[in-house]
Amino acid sequence: MRKTLWRRELRADGWRYPGESGDGQPVLTLPELLQAAAEGRVGPAGVGVSLGPTDDVELLAPLIGRLALIVVQFEKSGDGRGFSQAQLLRQRLGYGAELRAGGAVKRDHLFLLARCGFDAFDLEPGEDLHAALTQLERYSVAYQGAADTLVQPRRREGFAA
Amino acid sequence: MVRVYQYQPFDRTFVNERVAEFRDQTRRFLAGELSEDDFRPLRLRNGLYIQTHAPMLRVAIPYGMLSTPQLRMLAHIARHYDRDYGHFSTRQNIQFNWPKLEQVPDILAELATVEMHAIQTSGNCIRNVTTDHFAGVAADEIEDPRPWCELIRQWSTQHPEFNYLPRKFKIAVTGAAADRAVSAVHDIGVHLVRAADGAIGFEILCGGGLGRMPIIGKRIREWLPQGELLAYLEAILRVYNRHGRRDNIHRARIKVLVKSLGVAEFARQVEREYAANRSFAPRVSAAQIAHLRTSFTPPAYLQLRDTDPTAGAPAAFVAWYRHNTRAHKVSGYRAVFVSLKKHGEAPGDMTSSQMLGLADLADRHSFGEVRVTHDQNLVLADVPQHSLAALHHALAELGLATPNIGTLTDMIACPGLDFCSLANAGTIGVAKQIHAQFDDFDYLYDLGEIQVKMSGCMNACGHHHVGHIGILGVDKHGEEWYQITLGGSSSGEVSLGEVIGPSVPKAQVAATLALIVEVYLERRQDADESFLQTVRRLGLAPFKERIYAEDAVAA
Repeated sequence: MRKTLWRRELRADGWRYPGESGDGQPVLTLPELLQAAAEGRVGPAGVGVSLGPTDDVELLAPLIGRLALIVVQFEKSGDGRGFSQAQLLRQRLGYGAELRAGGAVKRDHLFLLARCGFDAFDLEPGEDLHAALTQLERYSVAYQGAADTLVQPRRREGFAA
Repeated sequence: MVRVYQYQPFDRTFVNERVAEFRDQTRRFLAGELSEDDFRPLRLRNGLYIQTHAPMLRVAIPYGMLSTPQLRMLAHIARHYDRDYGHFSTRQNIQFNWPKLEQVPDILAELATVEMHAIQTSGNCIRNVTTDHFAGVAADEIEDPRPWCELIRQWSTQHPEFNYLPRKFKIAVTGAAADRAVSAVHDIGVHLVRAADGAIGFEILCGGGLGRMPIIGKRIREWLPQGELLAYLEAILRVYNRHGRRDNIHRARIKVLVKSLGVAEFARQVEREYAANRSFAPRVSAAQIAHLRTSFTPPAYLQLRDTDPTAGAPAAFVAWYRHNTRAHKVSGYRAVFVSLKKHGEAPGDMTSSQMLGLADLADRHSFGEVRVTHDQNLVLADVPQHSLAALHHALAELGLATPNIGTLTDMIACPGLDFCSLANAGTIGVAKQIHAQFDDFDYLYDLGEIQVKMSGCMNACGHHHVGHIGILGVDKHGEEWYQITLGGSSSGEVSLGEVIGPSVPKAQVAATLALIVEVYLERRQDADESFLQTVRRLGLAPFKERIYAEDAVAA
């Protein structure tokens, strides 16, 4: 069972990702979701979708209120596209439910991922909760405003947050 | 008063937290808890390369500005953690070639005590922003670019969204009519410009760069209001971060995206993103920029009159004054180049004793401030003319007064094969060969301004494409050969040099340069026609003919 860090706790995941078998609520790929939407098969709430690095998040705009989970899959660690996808989802699309970083997510990326609006992380095997939480609390300040509420961005004396 | 941006408690907290993070990452790597593949992007973002002999640490010098306590700290690091010297780079940074990996966290902690760091000096992120080394003192300046550089430094430092770009990203800002920051070959060139109504804003260039695919940046915005700078930069970076290629490291710079989309389409996408992001993008208020300007207020200049310090002066001083000092916008002052191009030494290298000596001189004669130029010299920007004789004497004793600024031996050279794991060629050896060939200063002065720029490989750290004479090291079956280009220029009418013909063996580089300048001396219209003008007028043919003649060295 996949372990997901969510709100400072490790929890067993109840979702079933594309390509996975077994129980759990299915997470659709973006093409699957768009197809279902076109056919009027998307429910009013509780929908999960998984995005690859080239998926255009703006296509989710009409469905955003029905989504309960968006997983941004990192095929390679440190693929910067996922960071932009998250910021767009949180800011431009106003997405408020769970935004999860999946795939090749490294402990050392957690802080910046969280700043971009991710609030859940599939940890790599071997990573522990304590280490992950330490990394999330690594910085108390940041120069920029972003999608998160982790730190107080600089707003005084000269810097535009 | 320290005349660089002074950290607020906020900056200090951030840098200390960053040092603590890297100390922990280094410990995990050394303990085998972090793989080399996972450690690499982390150490690169803290300036640490693994090089031919040892790690190389590149320390950021934001837009080339150093206070004397900072310069003394660099001397301390050279002395205690390295082999007693450092190498100034074309990004106005300094590199230490021999640190020990396990000591790097300590070095970073020491740097933090003087408000310095090595953040984002490498890796696929926004690098040290560079600018005009005469910022604030140039007569042709529209506005001092340094407050804008500091704004960009802060905004780009650990930007959460733009820390994992497809490739490295370089921004240069200029505030003067003349471009002394090579901004046209940057990923983004930011130019302060004045509109017809007197308002000052920005012109934005994008998609310039050197390396394997040299290209001159294109203007994508003719006018941007000052408060919109970061909002517009965010739009460019977001388009690049989402759509730049990541499948091929040689096609990953923004210039490739701009070229493949076409400038008009790229600019349209940036404008679309800029408009769509209006409610979230950072804005700069007049009060905020006014605050940043307080870090760069002019020093307490004395009321002095212009004099002619050369009257009755010794010939050595006169030559130095003519070649190594420049006009200043305040009467009675000069801006002084500190030459790091002493013949027989590696261009851009400086020993710890020289750093300490220069720090004292800067305190005495130039308000405690030193600048790094992109062509690997230093500048004391505010020297009273009546101090020049004493300063010259002291610089000469330190070996920092070689009167060759702007001449052929004031060349840019990357560290090359001696240090860099990417290089094909030993640029330092070639530099010394050129020094030996052109050791007659009267001859150098007769040749006038000739910019020689040399890179040890295609990555073009030595900016060879924009040298009047460019030299590129290439590997031919394990031997070092050198490809020569003519007619490049990084300022005024920016141009990329053209390859003159087949590359020449290492032993013949200086002799080939001798033939090139011989043709120039024979064919120039008069002593006022510069080397670059002559090359542009004549084209490559007469130079080729001489170099590749049967009895010539390169044949």
